[in-house]
Amino acid sequence: MIKACKKVLVGFGLIGICTIVFGTASDVFAQASHLFRTYKREVPPKLPETPDAVAEGKKIYEKRCWYCHGIEGKGDGPAAKTMFPKPRNFTRNEYKVRSTAFSSVPTDEDLFRIITSGIEGTAMPFWYTISEKERWQVLYYIKTFNDQFRKNDAIKTVSVGSVASTPESVARGQELFKEMRCFECHGEDGRGNGPLTVALQSEWNLPYRARDLTKGWLFKGGNTIEDIYRTVSTGFNETPMGSYLEKLADEDRWHVAHYVKSIAKDMVSDVVIKARLVEDDQLPIDASDDDWGKATPVEIPLAGQIIATPRLWTPSIDAINVRAMYNKDEIMFLLEWDDATNKQEEVFRDGVSVQFPTKIPESLKKPYFAMGDSSGAVNLWSWKAYWHEGFGAIVEAPETESGEVSELNAKSFKNVTTQPPESQNVSGKGIYQNGRWKVVLKRSLKTDDVKGDIQFETGKLIPVALAAWDGSNSDTGALKSVSAWYYVLLEKPVPKTIFAYVLVAIIMGASVELWFIARLRRFPPKLEENE
Amino acid sequence: MAKKRSAFLMIWVILAVICLFMFLKYASPKVFQMLMAKSHPMPTPSTLMMWYMIMGVLAGLVYATTSNQKFADFLSFLLPSRGPIIKSLLQKLLFVSFPVLVGWFVYSWSIPGAASPVELRIQHPTLPQEFEKLENPFREKDADTQRKSIEEGKILFQTYCRPCHGSKADGNGPFANSFRLRPINFQDPGTIATVVDNYLFWRIKEGAPGLPSESTPWDSAMPSWKDDLKDDEIWMIIMGEYDTAGVMPRQREKLE
Repeated sequence: MIKACKKVLVGFGLIGICTIVFGTASDVFAQASHLFRTYKREVPPKLPETPDAVAEGKKIYEKRCWYCHGIEGKGDGPAAKTMFPKPRNFTRNEYKVRSTAFSSVPTDEDLFRIITSGIEGTAMPFWYTISEKERWQVLYYIKTFNDQFRKNDAIKTVSVGSVASTPESVARGQELFKEMRCFECHGEDGRGNGPLTVALQSEWNLPYRARDLTKGWLFKGGNTIEDIYRTVSTGFNETPMGSYLEKLADEDRWHVAHYVKSIAKDMVSDVVIKARLVEDDQLPIDASDDDWGKATPVEIPLAGQIIATPRLWTPSIDAINVRAMYNKDEIMFLLEWDDATNKQEEVFRDGVSVQFPTKIPESLKKPYFAMGDSSGAVNLWSWKAYWHEGFGAIVEAPETESGEVSELNAKSFKNVTTQPPESQNVSGKGIYQNGRWKVVLKRSLKTDDVKGDIQFETGKLIPVALAAWDGSNSDTGALKSVSAWYYVLLEKPVPKTIFAYVLVAIIMGASVELWFIARLRRFPPKLEENE
Repeated sequence: MAKKRSAFLMIWVILAVICLFMFLKYASPKVFQMLMAKSHPMPTPSTLMMWYMIMGVLAGLVYATTSNQKFADFLSFLLPSRGPIIKSLLQKLLFVSFPVLVGWFVYSWSIPGAASPVELRIQHPTLPQEFEKLENPFREKDADTQRKSIEEGKILFQTYCRPCHGSKADGNGPFANSFRLRPINFQDPGTIATVVDNYLFWRIKEGAPGLPSESTPWDSAMPSWKDDLKDDEIWMIIMGEYDTAGVMPRQREKLE
């Protein structure tokens, strides 16, 4: 009897294993990326600031730092030309992340923290890879570039108290954001598109951009509430970001910080963009359509195009938010990205393009991710902001104009062809609102041009890559921001029959179970004494 | 005494399997995050998880069948309950959850979904023949020339390679997050420390387009520098790159 039971039990075990296999295998898609740095707070006890320490620091500086910050600390190292933001000029007091009053120099601990963690969104790497002693030494050497460090001791001015984040605090912060006219630089929605930013930048050619407060991962000096509070309190030296230490009460600065924290988002990325199936017969080309809210957004990070000359080392668009939906005939993409300006010139215009292989790859092989290659062509859907010739020839694309949509094919950067008018099947519209472009591109799932156009199929992983141009950053042609290959998946609807299967499975599972238990209870296992 | 203790053997085995699952799914990512000092959790790969779970279930079954006494105890849980109320409750729970589990398995197996994108690649293709015979003109020079070439190379590296490969040659440049095939970390002893200078010369000169297809050239953002940098500049970059990363190239075996 026991043997029979064993057999049945092994059967159960196998069913259990199958359950686990398929249960875990359904967890297939890549996790959201957590690629961005966390700023370390702990600062170890100081090393004595002796001439020896400074001399040692000089050696470290001339081994690791000068390529960007310059041999004389002027921020003009040879590598600075491929950077934006530019490296810090240590001879001036342009220190940003400080716990000291506006226009004073930072404390040693402030500098130590930045050397340790680096600065996100810039070329400054984290240096916790060198010893604490070395970090103190190089810091003491850096201080010798600016006399101000010798004249007055840096005094910490930010208090340590805090105010808890409550809805009231956030609401008060939002009011203060308006009262203190923060939006004049940071924009009404905090996207760094305030009118003053744009005006100051073009008039004075200032090397700054107001922070896009919605991108929490790019905050300089960290995005914790204490970090934001510190920045509001002390400001950034030599930028229009002033100190609010005297203009706002301590409590109010916490409120503003809570508000900023509430609009700062994390980057939610994925490898697969899931296109949502909608029942509607018509897909309206409308970025504000309610249906978009139901499609899962994926934030795709972009880098400068560095594959082919001319290379873009200093991109200004760092991410595009993508959603997709489709019905039985058509597919539509919504592409959104932040851009501080809406300035269009003939050559330097804002734009975006979506790239697919010309056919869905059957194997691992894909065309080259940047504009295809000789053995694999790509299909490009391109959108360019509206522009018309006129006085000054710089225009702002109005919301009534949809921009210029075209469909292209490419086999390399140099081999790009616009499809003939009869093959142009993509339609689209882009609108600029509060510092953000929202572009919708739509095409039928299948077209007649099977050679040049991607033909969409449900349930398949279709490679997709993106590119974007910021006209005010002088992007044009190959000077653009690009992404790697991602995938778009047209989700198959869940068939109704599935619930019948599940029901049958449950009934079968239950009957097997009942049979086993009944059998077991009729012939309960008895110990055979001999064994 | 012993009999009483083991009346719940089946529950203990099931609990152990559930604990294993919970550990792999929720605890292990946190543990590895701490151990490896990462800023994000390290989720267990699903195939690894599958194998651990299979082993866990089998181990439970093996344990339950180590002796006939144990096996009888194991099954005795399913016999009509005369024990404490907790036993009959657990029994009912088990009887209900088994069919539900089977139903859930059928559901998750038959909902439409696509397989995870497979992106296998050979990281380390063979060096093409035409690059085998080349010599780094700076490697054998006097110390002074070498130092100068390293310094020149570091400047070029910091200018053109740093945006992706990072100031420290650790693959953490500001563009690194944007390429799904992350730039190589040259400090890693498994990368440039295992190849000769010529290998780097080939990779820098030909870039992604020069890769064989098993190395998925279509996903690599490594530019081809042959039109923009002179051969000497590439050799200098190699000198500077090894110095920045703090590793040495592999030495050629001396042939007799």
